[in-house]
Amino acid sequence: MKRIIALVFVLALCGCEQSGEKRITIGVTLLNLSNEFIVMIHQAMEAKAKELGVKLIINDAQRSAERQVQQVESFIAQRVDAIILNPCEVEASAPAVDKALAAGIPIVNVNSETRTAPTAFVGSRDEESGRIAMDYLAKRLNSQGNVVMMHGFMGQAAQIKRDQGAREILAKNPGLKLLADQTGEWDRAKAMSLMENWIQSLGPKIKAVFAQNDEMAMGALLALEQAKMKDKVIVAGVDAIADALQAVKAGRLDATVFQDARGQGSGAVDVAVKIVKKQPYEKQVFIPFQLVTKENLGQYLK
Amino acid sequence: MNSLKVWLSRFGLVIALVVIGATMAVVHPAFLTWPNLLNVVRQISINGILAVGVTYVLLTGGVDLSLGSLVALTGVVAASFAHPGEYPVFVPVLLGVLAGTACGAVNGLVVTKGRVAPFIVTLGMMTVARGLALVISGGRPVSNLSEEFKWIGNGPVPILILVAVAIVSWVFLANLKLGRHIYAVGGNENAARASGINVERVKLFAYTVCGSLAGLAGVVLASRITTGQPNAGAGYELDAIAAVVIGGTSLSGGVGGVGGTILGALLMGVINNGLDLLNVSPYYQAIVKGIIIVGAVWLDRRKEKS
Repeated sequence: MKRIIALVFVLALCGCEQSGEKRITIGVTLLNLSNEFIVMIHQAMEAKAKELGVKLIINDAQRSAERQVQQVESFIAQRVDAIILNPCEVEASAPAVDKALAAGIPIVNVNSETRTAPTAFVGSRDEESGRIAMDYLAKRLNSQGNVVMMHGFMGQAAQIKRDQGAREILAKNPGLKLLADQTGEWDRAKAMSLMENWIQSLGPKIKAVFAQNDEMAMGALLALEQAKMKDKVIVAGVDAIADALQAVKAGRLDATVFQDARGQGSGAVDVAVKIVKKQPYEKQVFIPFQLVTKENLGQYLK
Repeated sequence: MNSLKVWLSRFGLVIALVVIGATMAVVHPAFLTWPNLLNVVRQISINGILAVGVTYVLLTGGVDLSLGSLVALTGVVAASFAHPGEYPVFVPVLLGVLAGTACGAVNGLVVTKGRVAPFIVTLGMMTVARGLALVISGGRPVSNLSEEFKWIGNGPVPILILVAVAIVSWVFLANLKLGRHIYAVGGNENAARASGINVERVKLFAYTVCGSLAGLAGVVLASRITTGQPNAGAGYELDAIAAVVIGGTSLSGGVGGVGGTILGALLMGVINNGLDLLNVSPYYQAIVKGIIIVGAVWLDRRKEKS
C-alpha cells in the first residue's frame, strides 16, 4: 500500500514538472486580518491574483511574529512559488525572510520592512506620512503655534518613522512647539481619554493635533467636539480609513494622509508573479502617500 | 464579611489614592478641578463596569478572560442596530446587553455542566467572541450611529451607569441571599454544597451577570467612540481583573467586594490621568504605572496584616 501511495505521489510530482504551465501558487502571511487596512490590502491581492490567474494561500499571523515565521516555514514545506510577507515586526519577522531565501523561494515584503532585505519590497515610506501631516499643520498654523502628537505603539516601525517624519518638519519650523506627545496605542478609546486629559492640562494652548493614525485622530476629534473646542484646534491623522474620510467630508476632521492599500496589495502580487516568471522587476516599489483634505476628497471616497 | 470591615481593610488603598491625588493637586493645578475629576470617572466607567462584573466571577473562585472580546462583540452587535432612523435606541442597547448575557451564560454552562476549567472556557470564548465580532462586522468598524445612541457614552451618562451598576451590585452582594451564596461558593465550595447551596446555579448566575455587564460596557464603549470596533477591547479583561484584585478581592474567591473594585478602578484611572497631565514620557509611563499599582497594593496588604 505504501508503495502504491509513493508511486502515485512520484507520478503526481512528475506530472507537475512536465506540465510547464502549472498555476503559480503564492503563500501570503498577513499581519492581522482584523485590521481594516490589512483587510483592504488582502482584498486588493485577491483581485490582482484573479486577474493574473494565480493562486493565493492566505494566512493570518494575528500580530504574532512567531506565528508568522511558522507560516512561512509551512509555505516552504509546501514548495510554493513565492511568498508575500506583511511583517508583524522589523526584527522578529526577519527569520521568515532568511528561511525563504535559504530555501530558494522568492519573498516579497508588503507594507512594512524587516531587518533582512527580501527579494523585493512594496510599500510606502512611513516617514513621508508624518512629514505630509505635520507639514499640513504647519501651513495651517502659518508655522506658529503649539502642537500635540499622539504616537502609535511605542517601538513599532510605523510609530518610529511617522514620529521621525513629523519631527523633521518641526525642526524646520522653529515657531511650531511640540507641547506634549504621548502614546494612544493606535486605539480610538485610548486616544479619546488622552485628548480629554490634555484638554484639562493644556486646554486652549493646543492649536493642532497630529495623530499617527486615523483611529486616534477620530478619538481626539470626539474629545475636542465634546469639549466644544474643535473649531479652535486642527486635527490631522494618517491612513484615510473610511470613518476618517467621512469625517473630512463632514468638515469635522481637517486632514488625513492616504496610504494606498490597494496599490500595495496589487503591487505585491504583481512583483511576486514577475519574479516567478523571471521577468524584470523593481526591487523596491514605493507607493506614495497623499494628503487628503476637503478639497481633494472626492477621488478617495469610493 | 460585612461591608464595613471590607471598607476598613481597604484603608491602605484609600490612603494611596488620597496621597496620589494630593500630590497631583499640588503638582498640577488642573488635576483637582470638577471637569477633570468628572473626566477621570468617565474614563474609568468602561473598565469599572467590567470590573464590577468580573468581581462576581472572581468571588466564586472563577475567572473570565473573555471580557475584552465580549466588549468588541457586543459593541459591534449594538452598533449594527444603531444606525440613524432604523430602530429606537433601546433596541441596540438591549441587543448588546443580551449578546453579552448569552455569551456569559454559555461560559457559565460550560464551566458548571461541562466541568471545564474557567480559564479554558473563557479563553475559548475570548477567541470565539472575537471571531464573531469580525464575522458580523466583516472586519470593518461599524459606524454611522444615531445621535440618540451616541448620547449613552457621553457627558455624565457613563458615570451614572457605573454608579448604578456599582450600587446595585454592592447591595446585592452584601445583603441578598444569592449574593452571600456567591461568597460561600468561593470561600469553600464543598462546605457551600453541604449546606444546601446550589453551587452550579450560583456560578452560572455569576458568569451570566459578568457577561451582561460586559455587554453594557460594550454598548457604552461603542457609543463613546461612535463606532462598533471588532478589534476593540484587547486587554480589557486584564485591566478589569487588575482593578478587582487591587481592590482586595482574592483571586481564589470568597473575599472582597464591589467597594474595593471601584477603588481599584479609580486608582488606575487617577494614575493614567495624572501621568498624562504631567506629560510623563510614554516610555516611562508604563514603568511608573506598574510601580505605583504594586506599591499601592503592597501598602494596602501590609495594613491588613497589622
